[in-house]
Amino acid sequence: MPSSLLFGINNEGRVHTLSTTGSFWRELPYAGQEFKKLSALPHFLWAVGGDHQIYVYVHGLDIPIRVREESYENERWYPIEGFSSKLLPTDRFRYSSANGLVNRSMDTIRLPSMAWQWEGDWKLELTLDGHPLDHNGWTYAIDFPTQYYPKKQWTSCVRRRLWVRSRRYSAMNSWCAIAPLHKDATSEPFIDISIGGQSVAGAEAGTMLVWAITSLNRVMFRVGVSTKSPEGTRWNSVAVPLGCEVSQLSVGSSGLVWASLACGRALVRVGVTRENLQGSNWVEVRNPGSNLKIIQLSLGTNAVWAITQDKQLWFRKGVKGEGAGLSEDLAIGSGWIEMVGKMALVSVCANDQVFGVGADDRRIYFRTEVSHSDLTGKRWRTLTVPLQVSRASSNASLSKDKFHRSTLMLSRPSSMYESSAICDYNEQSHSAPTAPTSLPVGDLSTKFEAQPKNPKAWSPVHSVGSVVGMEVHPDTDESVWSECSRDSCIFADEEELGWADYEAPWSWVEAGACVIENNQMPNWFAIGNGTNIDELDQPWRRQILRALKDRLPNSKIYSEYEMAIDTSSWVQTGEARVSLKKSAFLDCSLQLEWLHNNGSLTILNPDGASAMVSFSLNEISCVQNCSEPGNPRLAIYVPRLSPPLVKLQFTSDNSLEEWQTHLHVTCSKIHNIVGKPSYSCVWTVTKLGDIFIWDPTELEKNQLRENDCYVQKYDLSGKESPIKVALRVGCSPGTVITLSGCFGDDAERVGINLDAESTYKIKSKAYTELENTVLHINPRFSDNCVVRNTMIDGKWGREERDGAMPFARGQEFTLRIETTEDAFILSVNNEKFCSYRHKIPPQSVSHLSIWGRVQPFRLVIKSPEIILDPYNVFWRQIGGHVRKVESCNVGVTWAIGHDQTAFVFSEGWGGGFLGTMESQNIHPMTDSQDYRVYENQRWNPVTGFASAGLPTDRPMWSDASGKQKRLKDQVKLQSKHWQWISDWMVDFHVPGGVDKDGWQYAVDFPASYHANKNFTDYVRRRRWYRRCAISTSGPWQELGHTKLLDVSLEPVKDDMDTVVVVWALASGGQPIIRVGVSKQNPMGNGWEHVSSDKPLSSISCGPFNRVWAVEKKGCACVRLGITEEKLEGEKWMTVQPPNGGELKQISVNSIGIWAVDQLGRLHVRKDVSPTNPEGNQWQTIYPNPSVLNSGTNTKCFRQVSVSRNGVWAVTDGGSIVRRLGICANNPAGSGWDVFPTEKWHYISIRGFN
Amino acid sequence: MANDREILRELWEGKLPVCFKLDADEVVELQQPDPFYLMVPRVSYFPLVIDKVRKHFLRYIASDKMDQVMWLEYNGQPLKWHYPIGVLFDLLVKTDDLPWRITAHFEKLPEEHIYDFKTKESVEAYFMSCLKEADVLKYKGQIVSSMQIKDHTQLWMGLQNDKFDQFWAVNRKLMELSSEYENFKHIPFRCYIEDGYKQALVKPIFEDGQRKTLQDLLNEIFPGQQTSLINIYTVLSKLMLSLLWHSHLKYNSRSAFISSSIFFKSLPLRTSTISSAFTN
Repeated sequence: MPSSLLFGINNEGRVHTLSTTGSFWRELPYAGQEFKKLSALPHFLWAVGGDHQIYVYVHGLDIPIRVREESYENERWYPIEGFSSKLLPTDRFRYSSANGLVNRSMDTIRLPSMAWQWEGDWKLELTLDGHPLDHNGWTYAIDFPTQYYPKKQWTSCVRRRLWVRSRRYSAMNSWCAIAPLHKDATSEPFIDISIGGQSVAGAEAGTMLVWAITSLNRVMFRVGVSTKSPEGTRWNSVAVPLGCEVSQLSVGSSGLVWASLACGRALVRVGVTRENLQGSNWVEVRNPGSNLKIIQLSLGTNAVWAITQDKQLWFRKGVKGEGAGLSEDLAIGSGWIEMVGKMALVSVCANDQVFGVGADDRRIYFRTEVSHSDLTGKRWRTLTVPLQVSRASSNASLSKDKFHRSTLMLSRPSSMYESSAICDYNEQSHSAPTAPTSLPVGDLSTKFEAQPKNPKAWSPVHSVGSVVGMEVHPDTDESVWSECSRDSCIFADEEELGWADYEAPWSWVEAGACVIENNQMPNWFAIGNGTNIDELDQPWRRQILRALKDRLPNSKIYSEYEMAIDTSSWVQTGEARVSLKKSAFLDCSLQLEWLHNNGSLTILNPDGASAMVSFSLNEISCVQNCSEPGNPRLAIYVPRLSPPLVKLQFTSDNSLEEWQTHLHVTCSKIHNIVGKPSYSCVWTVTKLGDIFIWDPTELEKNQLRENDCYVQKYDLSGKESPIKVALRVGCSPGTVITLSGCFGDDAERVGINLDAESTYKIKSKAYTELENTVLHINPRFSDNCVVRNTMIDGKWGREERDGAMPFARGQEFTLRIETTEDAFILSVNNEKFCSYRHKIPPQSVSHLSIWGRVQPFRLVIKSPEIILDPYNVFWRQIGGHVRKVESCNVGVTWAIGHDQTAFVFSEGWGGGFLGTMESQNIHPMTDSQDYRVYENQRWNPVTGFASAGLPTDRPMWSDASGKQKRLKDQVKLQSKHWQWISDWMVDFHVPGGVDKDGWQYAVDFPASYHANKNFTDYVRRRRWYRRCAISTSGPWQELGHTKLLDVSLEPVKDDMDTVVVVWALASGGQPIIRVGVSKQNPMGNGWEHVSSDKPLSSISCGPFNRVWAVEKKGCACVRLGITEEKLEGEKWMTVQPPNGGELKQISVNSIGIWAVDQLGRLHVRKDVSPTNPEGNQWQTIYPNPSVLNSGTNTKCFRQVSVSRNGVWAVTDGGSIVRRLGICANNPAGSGWDVFPTEKWHYISIRGFN
Repeated sequence: MANDREILRELWEGKLPVCFKLDADEVVELQQPDPFYLMVPRVSYFPLVIDKVRKHFLRYIASDKMDQVMWLEYNGQPLKWHYPIGVLFDLLVKTDDLPWRITAHFEKLPEEHIYDFKTKESVEAYFMSCLKEADVLKYKGQIVSSMQIKDHTQLWMGLQNDKFDQFWAVNRKLMELSSEYENFKHIPFRCYIEDGYKQALVKPIFEDGQRKTLQDLLNEIFPGQQTSLINIYTVLSKLMLSLLWHSHLKYNSRSAFISSSIFFKSLPLRTSTISSAFTN
């Protein structure tokens, strides 16, 4: 849950905010304007001021609102003069929009209001789909509405180029006046305002609907309000039925509008759809009783609450926002229900939670237990939240004198202070401004008696764009809303603020921007559930704790006592269904046995007598939830088994989680994993959004060490040659391999090879394997020599056979192979035998193979690098549900949810299925996902498009591929933790475009779809979606409102206190940097926007001065000019994508620059050197058979993660693979090591060094 | 309070070293049996933990007594099986002399003082009935009756097998304030004194909405008896903590079970009174 804000206006007309994570009302910076009414959506606040003019307040956005104006300059070629701006009469405008239909002369493109500022001048766009353009940005075509190419051809008759200029909404965090309807602002002031419509079914994202009422009782609709245009473009008068005098209105989140009339009845605007945001007509609704006049209304999504003139509350039943645009009945509901409580005002959140202002006590109330199933809730609860009194609030800024008084008063009892504040207020109201003025904003401390230099700029004036903003001081804006808090509202320095614990009489509450979930109540009420954090440090608590610990003094002397209850051994049994070797699920019974320090899981036949399979718990590599909707399943990976996967199916989510918990706890115990994970963890996310970590420090702890080397010993005495041993580490310089054994009496030729991964070549779709041997040691007893050689791509090199024969038949030997920078040094029986210069980088060694008449005894590998056997990796689950996790090696870890919410790791553990047990530092989390189904139709001559297909067609309701049948009403949720949060809706934002009913047309089904029906189109489809949300918990703290696409973290220095650079992409693809992130402050302080002309889709940073990103169009770009002082760098430089590939994801680090393209191929940047850090070209790495065989349906790579010394990737089949043999001479490495677990979706190894 | 895991854990982990001896008169063998040393959890009941003790002594007693119930005695007082072990200790043992020396008997069961406790099921039944009683006091019994048999079993098995997490996974439901109630109806508690216990209907808050502290509770049960309060303190001196905190383990450590979250929030206001109780 991101924090959200509740707004209130107190009796002084001051706007206050209350954050769902906070527990104080804070005053919005006061700018000299009081307000009468408020209406809010997250980040956007509309208000009726004390002067009855409309004001807009945009706040808390980390990304500036920027709009890119585009203008295409078109030219046509004429035989003699060449290209000329003279166009044919049938041609488009000289300066036009992309489709040529609109005149876009650059001089007519103006700022919509004074709230906007240009960012620079008109510029030429010099790339086309990621490819650089020469010729001043011209692109060429045969004729206008066709394909444009970057090169001029002889057929090119027209050309065009794109001019771009960005403008920015600069009135952020300040009240911005909306121009009045008439030149004289007093002639038709406003009396009510309402904003809503943020989720009109199928509408463009960011749409908002604003309605207002003027003093002449005209209803006004603001055209063009969206997150890109917060102030809209103009007022549109909406006619009301004759004789109706509208006094108040409210807009619901689905765009539904209810208005109350002076006669006490209500009007409902019906027909609000994505095409007609203003709705089509009014329907009158009767008041609850003949003498009960509705005076105020408030709408959520499905809830309509009203207050009648006797302060009685009413709830309208039967309203359903989602269907209200299409069905009149759902818009007007079916009847009034009288509710308990007398309120002066009611306000409903988008999720139908309700707040009110009490009729008599003027306190703010919250309706508890309001849910989807019970929209009316149970009880009213008072908010008992103290109010922050800031210097700015107390009317003190009116004069210096008074200001001093009020600061003095801060130290006095609040009651005294408060009464005097009211005095001030009274005084001021005597001298209320005579004319409607809107006042300067931003700078609080400057007294506004001083006349603004240009008074005209401060008052709303009619202008061309019909909107006039106020002059804005971007510099002072920042100081008012300094970006140092995670709340979207940021306030002045703390010491300037006082706190008053008094009951403020409220005149208004606005909940439109507030999101409250029943399971996560804010700390706003006097008595809450749970422990107050403050209690933990109270002396009495510590005293109790100490006393408890001291209950048994000298407990050590009783250590010999037997425990009354033996907890060291136990058995857990249960029923399940099991699938081994990918077979069907069979009934079985499970037996989890724990004996002192060891455990085993036995899967028995249902008779309970014979075991199907049994394994020790330390053989388990991963326990993963692999449920399918309706089938709670657990995947247990045991690398020893073949295949390694054991799937268990349980009867319910509860028993699944019970077993998941048991296995998690016991496996963690057996691997000695307790407490918080280390900083060097590898983080992975499964397809279901579960988070796992592997802690390399565990491996490091357990691995044998000798001096500075890691040691791995193999006993080969039981094995018979030929033998192949996977070394799990390359022979980087310093590696020593010692092999002891004995040659047979009849030994003739013996081979001892250090092999690298084979090279694969595709020949007519079949792979040919070409072997690589880095070092071939071949004692030939008949020739009395030892031949050394290297095989590259199946071809032997030149033999080396000089030197004596140190081996003898029937004799034991010890062969020592030491790797140095430039050669292998071979010693036999402790005597140097020869050296062998590297022909292939020795890092690519992956196996030792032995053949011939020889019996090896022992193999010892000493490596300066850690020896990582994928089969010994244990993945531990961490609570939470996210899409990706990114980490870095100083212990700052971030995650991004499926709904693009950013989370920061709280260094805890547990959560999720573990609940609060075995957990630390966990927080509630939510995440949401869309289910999608496709409705398919085929055209037939009789009925046109119909849901009857040909027998060969796909199911009429299907998934995207058309292979699976998917009926809307049969779609089940994943588990009990998920719930639907919307109904099925047509998706109007499908790639390729849709028509007005959401259909896409095609010639036949597996074809490309387009938005408009052509003559040859015989089929059509449309996408439906339904959103569901999970509520879970995990050691993650939500970061704030800004939604993220991608994030990358990298420390600036190597010490633990270093600043960590965090590059991220906001949901629109804008790059941003988080300021102030470090180990101590993993959340950082705020976002800083980095300008970029093009939206980005992936970003990666490593080392801190190297930042690469991928543009949405598929080409890469590098950030230049990054220094420690200027972490945000200077400018972007485009890097051409690999031939024929559009990149989609990139990961960079000191070891290399790796990227995945849309086709799932992997590319690595070649020729990277300190002088040329960008490299020269891409080298493509195709998946080889070992990758293709790593998992089911594996065809390509999904994602790659690069650490300082390794490259790991996730395949589209969900396997994790590790690149072998990467070294300075071969940055692309050779071959892959495959991990035995599957179903992965994302990996970050950036913490792993 | 029900989620102050550190305290809960500490309470749960509380153990007592006990030295069991067989009554010398009952030994029929030549050699006296060795005493049996055991660490017993404070929150458990004796019938759940003395199987090993019984097995140990069985060899030394007359064969015709072997099927008799083993009962325990300290300082001449038979130990009531249905009191939690910690409560028994705090009530009876007035010295700091550890281990707690308990005499085991197989003969002459003092049936007027303690019930026959042949099976663990009878302890379970007693435990469950206490649980229901407390729930009735707090929520009119809605929580227990809405629980499944499985949950009951888990709760009991958690206690029996000393599994904190298992126990608390279910017990949490009983301890959390449901959103329907702002407060518990009454504080489920028992105040053990030497010859039994006192129980009363005590609301968790005063009429003016202020939350009660332990002091307020004691004032209510023993009205106007400042001196007797002191006496209680002496009796409960070591038990004060239990009285306070066992509220969270309310059902198994029966020294007192006091609605917790309410109770604790008010504590800081009156720390002085409470802490004086501790240091007593």
